[in-house]
Parts: sequence; structure tokens; C-alpha cells
Amino acid sequence: MNRKNFITKSGIALGGGILAPYILPSGRLFAKTGSLKADHVVLVMFAGGVRQQESVLGRYLEDSQGVSGAVGNIMPNLFEGNAPTKKIAYGTSVVGKPNGSEAIPKLLANSMERSGLLFPEMRAQSAGHYVGLNTLLTGNAGTNQGLKVRPAYPTIFEYLRKHAGYKATDTWFIGNGIGNSTPLLNSSNHKDYGLAYGGNMFAAPVTFSNAGKEILGNAKTYTRSDLEPMYFMKNFLDQSFALTKDQISSVSNTDEEKSQIKDFIKSVFSKQQAGQLPMPPVTDNGDAVNVMYAAEVLREFKPKMLAVNISSVDSCHSNFTGYLQSLHRADHITGWLWQYIQNNIPQMSGNTIFIVAPECGRNQTPNPILDQNDWVSYDHSDANALRVWGLMAGKGVPNLRVGGESQPVGRLTDIVPTIADVFGILDDVKAAGLIDPLAQSLYNRI
Amino acid sequence: MHNFKLSLILLTMFTLGGCTKERNIGFGVEEARVLEDKSRKTKQKNDAEFVSILYTNLYQTAISPNQLYKTQNVVYSIGDQDVANEMLLSNYFNTSGITIPTNIEMRNNLESFIVNTYKRFYLRYPSEGEKAFFGQYIKTNPNVTVEMVYTAFACSDEYQYY
Repeated sequence: MNRKNFITKSGIALGGGILAPYILPSGRLFAKTGSLKADHVVLVMFAGGVRQQESVLGRYLEDSQGVSGAVGNIMPNLFEGNAPTKKIAYGTSVVGKPNGSEAIPKLLANSMERSGLLFPEMRAQSAGHYVGLNTLLTGNAGTNQGLKVRPAYPTIFEYLRKHAGYKATDTWFIGNGIGNSTPLLNSSNHKDYGLAYGGNMFAAPVTFSNAGKEILGNAKTYTRSDLEPMYFMKNFLDQSFALTKDQISSVSNTDEEKSQIKDFIKSVFSKQQAGQLPMPPVTDNGDAVNVMYAAEVLREFKPKMLAVNISSVDSCHSNFTGYLQSLHRADHITGWLWQYIQNNIPQMSGNTIFIVAPECGRNQTPNPILDQNDWVSYDHSDANALRVWGLMAGKGVPNLRVGGESQPVGRLTDIVPTIADVFGILDDVKAAGLIDPLAQSLYNRI
Repeated sequence: MHNFKLSLILLTMFTLGGCTKERNIGFGVEEARVLEDKSRKTKQKNDAEFVSILYTNLYQTAISPNQLYKTQNVVYSIGDQDVANEMLLSNYFNTSGITIPTNIEMRNNLESFIVNTYKRFYLRYPSEGEKAFFGQYIKTNPNVTVEMVYTAFACSDEYQYY
């Protein structure tokens, strides 16, 4: 090789060596970083069908049950407004007092509404849970979305991994169970995205249940020198079998990420045993348990994006008192999660944007089912069930209230472009052409 | 007496006449080893099938319905199925009752171990290349155990298919 050739080839090799690590899965050389608004986003998918009347509008029993004067805010960590003073049934129960008569003390010094951005009157694109959850994670109205199948359109996890180059453990979905297709929400089955870009997922109340402990808790802790031969042999076998892209059936973590997840699962079981898992002051339903595990995932992985699903308010189909109690607790645990990030995860404190939105609303008119207080119940199928709200707080989020009851602003499909906007990939997501054409970043709705 | 003789002659004739030479009929069927071919494994095991087959493979007995139900739910609750399966397997290896060769047995008859492992997990014979890879790798890495080899097979992509 002559000197000219040598210099040319060396230059190309050197340049390639420098640039190659930065080529994203999408094929672009560098992730957009100029418009990064925060390093982390936490989305609370709140919380199983929430009526505007008892949540953001603070009307408690006056609208729903016709109890005159029984108005007030039962979600003090999220919204401004005084608590109700009549017929308190949404709190905890204390011996010698009526059931549910002790409101849970407010955790946050200032409500998220007071410090953040509230869209009090948004529109959902569906009155159903699964399509609503899909909408929150895909930005698509999901009108053709079936049950028991993965989302038809890419999730925000896939957009972030493909266009921003994040690794699998940077994106997490924490589901509240394995029913209702929930475990499928960490990735779509879209041909251009799919599981190769999917987020990690725990259906935490199942993973960390007694059965989970029995089945996973006694797993050996392998050292790196144990794991290397196993993965080496497995990789040989996998290369020999050579799955095609459409045969991939699981999220793909690197060997290091897998080890971290396994160690994490074992550490959660150990903390459970020792009673060392941090939890909200009131942890008396499944939602609180799920949020507790979400906090643990945040503390361990400090992901770029985590979505956590809660759904206990869906008891409203047949138990309005239970619905009010779950709504009050959903506010409590959401406030706790926000506070936990600020106080216990320094890498995320002051550098996170928190987004809260229901997947759908609830009906204007009740069904005839009465609960223990003779209060009527509500399903979710009429126009009122498309009325929802959205709340943002955290780094750089302006303190505003945009729109109102008579002036709806925003759609649930806005959540994905908003998160994409936070991470500087809004143009890529729009260019993919797979979100609702009417969707916008909420920053652009202001 | 005459009748008796006649009857005896007739009986002998019928008996001998009833015997014919046995004809050797062949249908052109050749002996074949009936085993899986990896190229034909196109159906993925579902969670219940995977857990049930793995359990039976290791314990040489069927898993109970209750245990199967619990296990498949827990496996389904984890996004990375490799992680779930590796932990499940590691949990099994930490229990008594599993039927696997010892490390000494593996190293004493390595080729037989490799062939049997392929048959046990993949229901097929290894190719010459596969035999050579594992033979060489296990020989040159004294820290490799049966548990490691079995974990690699049980967590491999091919084991997810049939």
C-alpha cells in the first residue's frame, strides 16, 4: 500500500470509528438536542375513567348525586380549591367515625395546578380504557385498535428509542396488572418500529406478588464470569437459528441491561422482605402499590421516560363511594410520586417533566346501580366521557391555565407529541405520519 | 379300514396343499430417524407451552396446573421475556429434584453430552459445526458447567419454537 492510500484509508477508518457510535437506529447521525426541554418525563395514566365533575371541576356530590352544597376539591395535590365540608366519604376510615370521613392530608406544599400548566377541558378520542391508554401512548386516535393485540401504531417508547437513540432501560411502562391487554402497551406491532424499539415493562403487582417471589425470588445471583459463557453460548445458538425481525417477541435489552433488571427484581424482593420499600403514606389499594414500584424503577434506572398506569377509579361502574375514595387516593399517590422524585432522586429532581392525564372520562347521566350510600354509579359511553383534563409540571413548564369548560383546548393525542417535543424529536414523530393529524404539542396550544 | 386310509390320504393332501411358500413383500420404505429440523420450527410456543415443556424437561415430571398458571402469569408480567425466562430457569436450578448430568459426566463424554443436549432441548441432532463449537468451547473453558449450557439452550430463540 502506498503512503497516499494508507493515509486515505486510515482517515476513513478513523472518521468511521468516531462517527459510528452516534448513528441512531433511525439512520440519523445525531439525536436532536438543541430543543431538549428536560432529561426525564414521567406520565401518570390517571386512573380508569375520571369525570370532570368530581375531579377538575370540584363539584363532589352536587352534580353527581344532587346533594346541594356538597361541592369541593377532593384532589388537593393536583388541583386548587377547598375541600368539601359536607358528607365526607372519600377519605380513610377511623374507628368511631363514619367510613371514609378522614381526608388524606395534602402532601405537596403547592398543588401541581398552582405550579404547572393545566388544560382543564381537553377531548379524549375514545370513551374506552384500552383505546384511551393506546391514545396516551401512541398519539393516535386508535379507532381501529383491537383488544388483546399490541397497539397498531408506535408508542412513545419506540419513537424515543428509534429517533433519540435511547436504550431499552431508558424507557419503562409500569402496568397495574396483566388483565385488559395492559402488558402489551410497551410496544406496538408496527412494521417500522415494534418490539425492537419497545420499552421495558413490569406489570408490577404481578411481578412482585407472592407468586412472583416464589417463582423468581430464589433465582441465583450469577457473577459476570458466570454470565459471560452463558450469553456467549446463547448468542451462538441464536445466530444459528436467526430469527427474522417479525419473529422478535420480546423487548431487547443488552446483556448488561438484562443483568441490571434481574438484580433489580431480586433487590425489590429483598426490600419487600425487610420492609424497606418506600411507599405513599396511604397504601391501601392496588394503584398505590403500583406507584410504589414505579418509584423504585425510577430510583434504580432513572429512565428518560416512564409511564405508569393506575385504574382503581373504574369502580365507578357500580360503587360511587369507592370511586371517590380511589380518586382521592389517585391524587395522593400521584402527589407522592412527584414528591419522591424531587426528594429522593437527585439525578431527576429539577430535571423532570411530570404529565398527568386520564385515558377517558365518564358519563353525564348515571346508571341505576346504587352503592352503600345509595349513590348512583356512572359508566363511560356518552359525550361527557370524552371530556378530560391534562396537567403538566416540572422543569420549565409555565404556570398557566389554558382553556375552560366552555372553551376546550387540547386532545389526548397531544400527549405523545408533547413528550416528543420535550425530547427534541417532534419533527421525526410528525414526519413518521402515524399520529393523529390534529395532534399538537401542548406547548404549541398555549 | 379302506375308508380310514382314504381319509388319511385326503387329510395329508389338504394339509400339504394348504401350505404355500411365504412371499417376501417390500414396500420400498427406508428406515429414517424422525427428529425435528430447525428450519421447520416456525410456530412459537406460548407462555404455557414454554413453561410446561421446560419444567418437564428439567424435572422429568409434569408441572401442576396451579403452578403452571402462576408461573405463566409472572413470566407474562415482565417485558423482557429473556429476563423472565432466565430468572425462572435460575430459580429451578436453585431447587432440588431437577434431573441433569453432573459436570464430570459432561466432561468425561463430551460428544455424547452435546448430542444429548441438542436432542433434549431442540429434539434434533447437532450439525458437525455445532458439535465442533460446543466441543471446543467446553474443552477450553473449564469453568463452563452443565447449568450454563442448559441455561443457554433453554433461553435460546430456537427453544421458543417448535
